[in-house]
Amino acid sequence: MKGSAQGRKRYRRSMLARFGFNFYDIFVYAFCILFALVCVYPMWYVFVASVTPYEEYIKGGLMLWPRGGIDFQYYVAIFSTRSFVNSLWISVSKTVLATALSVLVTSTMAYAVSKTHIRGMKVINALVVFNLFFTGGLIPQYMLYQDLHLLRTYWVMVIPGALNITYFIIMRNYFTYSVPKDLEEAALLDGCTDVGVFFRVVMPVSRSMIAAVTLFIAVINWNDYYNYMMFIGNKTNLQPFAWILRRMLVDQSMMNTVRNGAAGLGMELPPPMALRMATIICAMIPILCVYPFLQKHFTSGITLGAVKE
Amino acid sequence: MKGKSAAETPLDQRSLLQRFAVYMRKYWFIYLLVLPGLICMIVFNYGTMYGIQLAFKDYSPRLGVWGSPWVGFEHFREMIADPNFIRAFKNTVIINVYKLLFGFTFNVFLALLINEMKIRRVKSVVQTCVYLPYFLSWVIFAGLVQVFLEYPSAADLGGVVNQVIASLGGTPIDFLKTPSMFRGILTISNIIKTAGYSAIVYFAAIAGINPTLYESAAIDGANRKDMMLHITLPRILPSVAVMLILELAGLFVSNFDQVYNLYSNYVLSTGDVLSTYIYRISLGGGTEFELSTAMNLVLNLMGLIVVLIANKFIEKLDVQGIF
Repeated sequence: MKGSAQGRKRYRRSMLARFGFNFYDIFVYAFCILFALVCVYPMWYVFVASVTPYEEYIKGGLMLWPRGGIDFQYYVAIFSTRSFVNSLWISVSKTVLATALSVLVTSTMAYAVSKTHIRGMKVINALVVFNLFFTGGLIPQYMLYQDLHLLRTYWVMVIPGALNITYFIIMRNYFTYSVPKDLEEAALLDGCTDVGVFFRVVMPVSRSMIAAVTLFIAVINWNDYYNYMMFIGNKTNLQPFAWILRRMLVDQSMMNTVRNGAAGLGMELPPPMALRMATIICAMIPILCVYPFLQKHFTSGITLGAVKE
Repeated sequence: MKGKSAAETPLDQRSLLQRFAVYMRKYWFIYLLVLPGLICMIVFNYGTMYGIQLAFKDYSPRLGVWGSPWVGFEHFREMIADPNFIRAFKNTVIINVYKLLFGFTFNVFLALLINEMKIRRVKSVVQTCVYLPYFLSWVIFAGLVQVFLEYPSAADLGGVVNQVIASLGGTPIDFLKTPSMFRGILTISNIIKTAGYSAIVYFAAIAGINPTLYESAAIDGANRKDMMLHITLPRILPSVAVMLILELAGLFVSNFDQVYNLYSNYVLSTGDVLSTYIYRISLGGGTEFELSTAMNLVLNLMGLIVVLIANKFIEKLDVQGIF
């Protein structure tokens, strides 16, 4: 017994040695993989639970794999609720509009302000950054939107966020440090105007950065419910998807609508927990679709306060 | 620089207006580019500033913001005397200190360990997994937290954590309604959601380290742990310092999205933060418009002072500051 245990131990050690492993590595891999699982397992669990038939789900436990077949009944219940589908349209349209506006306004301004030798740009830069730390606050914002007749309209979710200060700073740093100055100067020497430099040199060079920022701002807009909650309030035909989500997941004020709707379709009354899980998955799908593109870009310096090369 | 020298010498005799016109003709396109953003900023960012006077006024909807009578520092006195404000202030600072102590150190630790993984495929899979939660909204993430920590009820069998506790023979805990656990839940959920993403800054710094340093260390007989502690860690310290300062600058800033989606009336004593409190007394059911504006003003001023101090430190390091 003893001999074989020792033998096994020695064998294992030699296996580890062959792959260049030691206990330091084991700790590193174990820790990282464990944390990765902590990040992803909840989502997987929720997915599995949301497609598990009720009889199996009620048994509980850590579900690693769907048991007893796959059943999309909860998704049917969700998508047969009218306000759900309506909110998807609101969210898609406002995300497209707000993102396009925001990227246009923010990128052009960031480029202009990165030209610090032009008079006034340093002042404008300081004025923008100041806003990151000093704002009027909720009530002054509310009063302003009231005066501008934006309150309780669709446009309050689109227009006010046009200048995104965080991405202004990131883009400004990109234009200052990452677009080669020689390229712009060469174009100017060749008789190119500022307009030409911007459209023919700077934009093509910064294409992937702009794409990345667009995706980031789109995700922010897709997830935004704050503007609806604060400045629209109770117009149900303008509810964005993120707000419906909140009403399903957090305060659960929409739960009964969906459950009764499902009962109206001739289903069994679905358990709230299962409906919540199905909602989480519905909400995650658009993010998961753009995630590969996001990940491709954000490692390339789309972060605040990165160290200069 | 070249713009200046070209525009200046022959123009000195001309009037200010003419010089302005020439300058504008030269740079009209850049000024055109800045214009939409400038308008947005003036209207939507600086436009709100006039509302700050509410902090010193007694607002009546009939008279409007401008017409309402001045009351001086009345609302500030009210604010200091408000025990709920003091509580929210304390909670905000304590939660931020927790996030700094545990969250911040975890981020650095995670970045160093992920960098130590040498099998490319495992490393990239791990990175993909740990970045993902950052992109889910707090609504979804709060939904996940609730689903996991749910207390068993008549209609449901409760969250996974309570199922595990029950199967081990313990009594289920209503995590999200226990005041003593709420700050911990905020800190841990914040780590899971943002640690991977926050580590990216450090990966960028690590990528910039000269590989010959490691080679010569290996020749000198250093093992991997020594290399991590004596080469990698000192090299990323500037980044760590910047992130630390940025984090400190947000000491009075509370994460509305996170707390609002996780808290309930049961945990106000430990979980109510400034942004949620300001929301509740103003648009979220209350009518204390002036008081909330006054609070916002004070917090902004305090935050601004901290940020300016922090920026002084950032300038000393060789990094891209935010200003």
